[in-house]
Amino acid sequence: MNFEIDPNAPELIVRRDFLKKLGAASTAAMMSGAPQLVRGKDIEHPEAKADACILLWLAGGMAAPETFDPKRYTPFEKGISVDSVLSTFPAIDTVVDDIKICAGLENIASVMDRGTLIRSAVQPDLGSILHSRHQYHWHTGYVPPQTVACPHLGSWMARVLGPNNNVIPAFINVGQRLEGVGEKEELKAFTTAGFFGNEYGPMNLPFPEQAAQSVRPPEGMTSERFTNRDKLFRNLVDQSPHRDYASDFQQESMMRSMDNAHRLLSSREREAFDLELEPKEAREIYDTGRFGRGCLLARRLVEKGARFVEVTTEYVPFLHWDTHAEGHNTIDRLHKEIDRPIAQLILDLEERGMLDRTLVIIASEFSRDALIEGRPGSEANDQATHKVDVITEEKHYGLHRHFTGGTSVAMFGGGVKKGHLYGKTADDRPLVAVENPITVTDLHATIMTAMGVSPKTEFSVEGRPFYVTEDGKGKAVMDIFA
Amino acid sequence: MIEAPKLFPPRRTILASAASAFLGLAHGHANVDFVHSVVPILKEHCGDCHSGEESKGGFSINTRELFLNDDTAVPGDADASYFIELILEKDPDFMMPPEKKERVPSEHLAVLKQWVNEGMKWEPGFTFGVPAYEPPFAPRRPELPTATEGRDHPIDRILDHYLTENDLPRPSPTNDSTFLRRVSLDLTGLLPSAEETRTFLVDQSPDKRAQKIDELLDRIPAYTEHWLTFWNDLLRNDYDGTGFITKGRTQISGWLYDSLKVNKPFDQMVTELIAPPNASSAGFINGIKWRGTVSAGQTLPIQFSQSLSQSFLGINMKCASCHDSFIDRWTLAEAYNLAAIYSDDPIELHRCDKPTGEIAKAAWLFPEIGQIDASAPKQKRLEQLAALMTHPENGRVPRTIVNRLWGQLMGHGIVHPLDAMQTEPWNEDLLDWLAVDFRDNGYDLKHTLRTIANSQAYQSAASTHANESDEFTYDGPLPKRLTAEQIVDAIWQVTDSAPTAYDAPVARGSVDPTLAEKLSFPSSWVWGPSVDNGGVPANGEKILLRREFKPSKPILAAGIVAAADNAFVLYLNNRQILDGVNWTNLEAAPLTNQVRPGANQLLMVAENRGAKPNAAGAFAAIRIKYKDGSDEIIVTDEQWQVTDTVPNGNRPGRWQLDELEWETARLLPNTPWKNQTDARIGPTLANASAGVHLRVRASLLKADDLMRTLGRPNRDQIVTSRPNELTTLEAVDLSTSEDLMHHLRSGAEKLTSREELSTPLLVEEIYLLTLNRLPSDGENKLLVQSLGKSPSVDQVTDLLWAITMTPEFLFNR
Repeated sequence: MNFEIDPNAPELIVRRDFLKKLGAASTAAMMSGAPQLVRGKDIEHPEAKADACILLWLAGGMAAPETFDPKRYTPFEKGISVDSVLSTFPAIDTVVDDIKICAGLENIASVMDRGTLIRSAVQPDLGSILHSRHQYHWHTGYVPPQTVACPHLGSWMARVLGPNNNVIPAFINVGQRLEGVGEKEELKAFTTAGFFGNEYGPMNLPFPEQAAQSVRPPEGMTSERFTNRDKLFRNLVDQSPHRDYASDFQQESMMRSMDNAHRLLSSREREAFDLELEPKEAREIYDTGRFGRGCLLARRLVEKGARFVEVTTEYVPFLHWDTHAEGHNTIDRLHKEIDRPIAQLILDLEERGMLDRTLVIIASEFSRDALIEGRPGSEANDQATHKVDVITEEKHYGLHRHFTGGTSVAMFGGGVKKGHLYGKTADDRPLVAVENPITVTDLHATIMTAMGVSPKTEFSVEGRPFYVTEDGKGKAVMDIFA
Repeated sequence: MIEAPKLFPPRRTILASAASAFLGLAHGHANVDFVHSVVPILKEHCGDCHSGEESKGGFSINTRELFLNDDTAVPGDADASYFIELILEKDPDFMMPPEKKERVPSEHLAVLKQWVNEGMKWEPGFTFGVPAYEPPFAPRRPELPTATEGRDHPIDRILDHYLTENDLPRPSPTNDSTFLRRVSLDLTGLLPSAEETRTFLVDQSPDKRAQKIDELLDRIPAYTEHWLTFWNDLLRNDYDGTGFITKGRTQISGWLYDSLKVNKPFDQMVTELIAPPNASSAGFINGIKWRGTVSAGQTLPIQFSQSLSQSFLGINMKCASCHDSFIDRWTLAEAYNLAAIYSDDPIELHRCDKPTGEIAKAAWLFPEIGQIDASAPKQKRLEQLAALMTHPENGRVPRTIVNRLWGQLMGHGIVHPLDAMQTEPWNEDLLDWLAVDFRDNGYDLKHTLRTIANSQAYQSAASTHANESDEFTYDGPLPKRLTAEQIVDAIWQVTDSAPTAYDAPVARGSVDPTLAEKLSFPSSWVWGPSVDNGGVPANGEKILLRREFKPSKPILAAGIVAAADNAFVLYLNNRQILDGVNWTNLEAAPLTNQVRPGANQLLMVAENRGAKPNAAGAFAAIRIKYKDGSDEIIVTDEQWQVTDTVPNGNRPGRWQLDELEWETARLLPNTPWKNQTDARIGPTLANASAGVHLRVRASLLKADDLMRTLGRPNRDQIVTSRPNELTTLEAVDLSTSEDLMHHLRSGAEKLTSREELSTPLLVEEIYLLTLNRLPSDGENKLLVQSLGKSPSVDQVTDLLWAITMTPEFLFNR
């Protein structure tokens, strides 16, 4: 089937036609250099299974054995050896017979029949296992550094698919501060539309409870004054003798952006950004913290037409899922932060009839292990803060090393099989994927395929073909689709 | 070895063997990648005889169309494709490649078959042929066409000729106000002030434009801090970014700033960047060292090869550092040989991240003027390279930089994109003349900028056809969207507000360190009676402070600095001079023209903000320098008076000050703010009172959200062009930004506090400030009517917003 072009993305069409008109030689010349000179290509896209995507990002390395892939449980006791610890939480049943997950995730266990659990995602070690590099890899599909600025997954969707509702920005990024946190520059390096340009970049909302302010007239400005200000602006543009001097193309493109902005800021849809408008009971279910509120915001945004929303528990070095000590206690708290909102998000989408067309993904840059850094045999630096063989204090009890050999990814809705388990890790250390390992590239291909975007989709930047999955080689795991 | 000419063999039928069926499956399911897999194989086995100018047997693989001739290849059916048959052929008379050549290994054949079976996907525009255009390397001095109608500037002689040849109309000359705005933004990044605009518009001297160009180029800090943005982009320099966290990257900011300040010749800059005499300029070639492993295409030597090629030669070496480039003629070996000049150790060529066993030999790309001695030590090799790059017979480097300068001023390169210097220029004579003229004038950057700016071409009305979907034809300079830095600077300028602290580690302007030292003292902070007996000021509490002073002698200069937790507005003789909302920023202003003989009155409204009662304080210091060389410093202390009754509005002339109840200001014992302010008092006060009030420029700051949204690149890669449009997210940000509103409001307060400005004069002032022209009758009528007799701060704030959002403001045309 031919990919249907979103009517909101006329640029793609214009450029495509335009390219056909040009001779090959001048095309090549045009393509070398300017990053904005990218183009869509005639490519067979798969039929979309989902219209929207919500990525729930458990930043810092979510230990699979503490969440979605429970192994032999060893309770805390002074004097146990580190190598006896696989999981610090017991397994519990889920609504699906052959799927168990960790205690603490009871609500998620109750909705496991709505999705597919992948237990065999694998990552490269990249020499030294660094969160921001692996996050870059996961979010762009390319291992940094790269010679061009790679677009984020959300920017690919924004670029290729456009917004579902052109009032709502296509790519919204919830929960991650980009200032005042460690490795902020490394985070910015992938939280970007890269060579696509800012039109496809993220709208960043680090604090979900303050999201409404980003789409509201400035503090203290009444809606009447806001409307008058816009009228004044239009009058000035009409009056300006400059109208005759600039090209229609530039003026119109600028006015279109101002129109879009004004439309969003005065639209009913902007209410989607305001959590206060949610009934109190619903708000309370989600309100386990910023992440929980972010899940609620994601639901509201997708309801109103957002294409891609990422909600993160926020990456801050050594905080949250980045457990270098006190692992068990930290994860216990994190279970409480994610369990109820994630389950509620699935149920809410289902109740609204949206789950089938919304792909919800729970993922992280890699897993963790009590003993092994990287993969067995890896030369990666051991970054554990407490290097002990025997656990004598509670702070030693947890999965404090970065593990790349087997990571869980959960997917709900968006055409994936229900109550399905895919891939498997070993029952004993090393807990590597022993069945159906999935690389980051293939995972990307799977996600893009669900969204109706061919993994081979390519754009030309600086004369180089650049693909949505690394070198266009990603292959979707079709087994997980219903 | 030269093959004897051999006709392309006649068609024969060959049975597909079991082996070939097996090989067809060798690559499994993944689609074959034309660029990375197929091209190298075809080049290796077929290229010598069937590509470029060679087409033995009448067969060429240059393009897909040629390849398909006579069913030599049948897309979708490898078995029916004649060239596959020939590769499988066992008969030495028919086999391909010819008998004496190496056979195609089975894994290569499998790739070719898969490629054919998958439809022979071809990269659009790709050809094995000789590139249609190969730019000359040597400098060339074109003969200038005869001047017409007295337009004898070399650029105009060339372009007038071009226009005639192409039967194009000559762009009309631009008017003075458009010229002034354009040239100020292009050369200094700043808008001309209202005063400067008025003066220029009434100036009758015939050479006022040439004079203005000289004057702008001579504004050292303004020029330096504008062009800093261009060079930071080009040289991938920033004050923050990936790599700094582990010291895997160093800045060249100080070196760059100083180089621009003294207009260091470009050949010297290139030399110091490529063969750094010391650490200050070493950051460019040393690139960004990432933690962990990186691909072969991003090692430090390869980064060197790529950066150098892109910045100074306009060559895209990124493709060639992975495999022979398929967009131009550069090869993997050339990319690695260039890298080897920098590399401490021998480096092995990697094709698509896989080692090839070949070791690179230090060499550069244009041996016609000399070559690197690969056996020389590294520093020597770098020096040799620098000498070749700046060699007088090297035409490529001057062409690349003058093309960039032309692009900056005219909105479109003579070769475009600016980084693709292998592309044919739309006017070879123009490019070559500019390059030769640049070299002949000692690689003087300001000379070339001056030359372009003085041409009639630069001074003509902007083209109105700017549209990506046309092939480029010159018909005047293209309008350029203001860069992120220009927008931010312009807002600060229009509203007379800017931060005072900046991030770039550079020595700005000419602060006299002795004077700065002399003017350094500990800050003293005051507040009102609410701090008595250990009291904590309420949130929202406002106080009014005042101090009268009389200069004792004739004044030479004066300046002020101030800060408050959380906000303040300062008035001198009832005119607003300074305000701030961030106590970590020491705000500053020159006062030389404002302080008068006799009594002066300072008023400071300070406000405590926050969600609950919290510490509050205000600090101000004035330095008066007398003509006899002596200094007087007035600081916030117990000589100030305070009241907690603050009248409304921003026109202190109307406040009944003597009816308020005044007390002595309370000097605060604890001043947690001083760590942020004290070190900056001396230098800031020295600058402010020297009358060279240097407003901080956006180019000196780390990129913030707004600047990033407006298109300032991350500078993890070299990105040499800025966006020319305004995106929706940018428009949303500009429509909601509290920070922008604060600046606009501050500007509106200052404007409305000026009693002399009646509404029509206010409108005129705002148009001169923002658009550098007088309002039209229509605009005047519209605004005078809607603002009314006595416009409020809100109204003026909104007018400033509306006007700064118009395309006219956001474009430099």
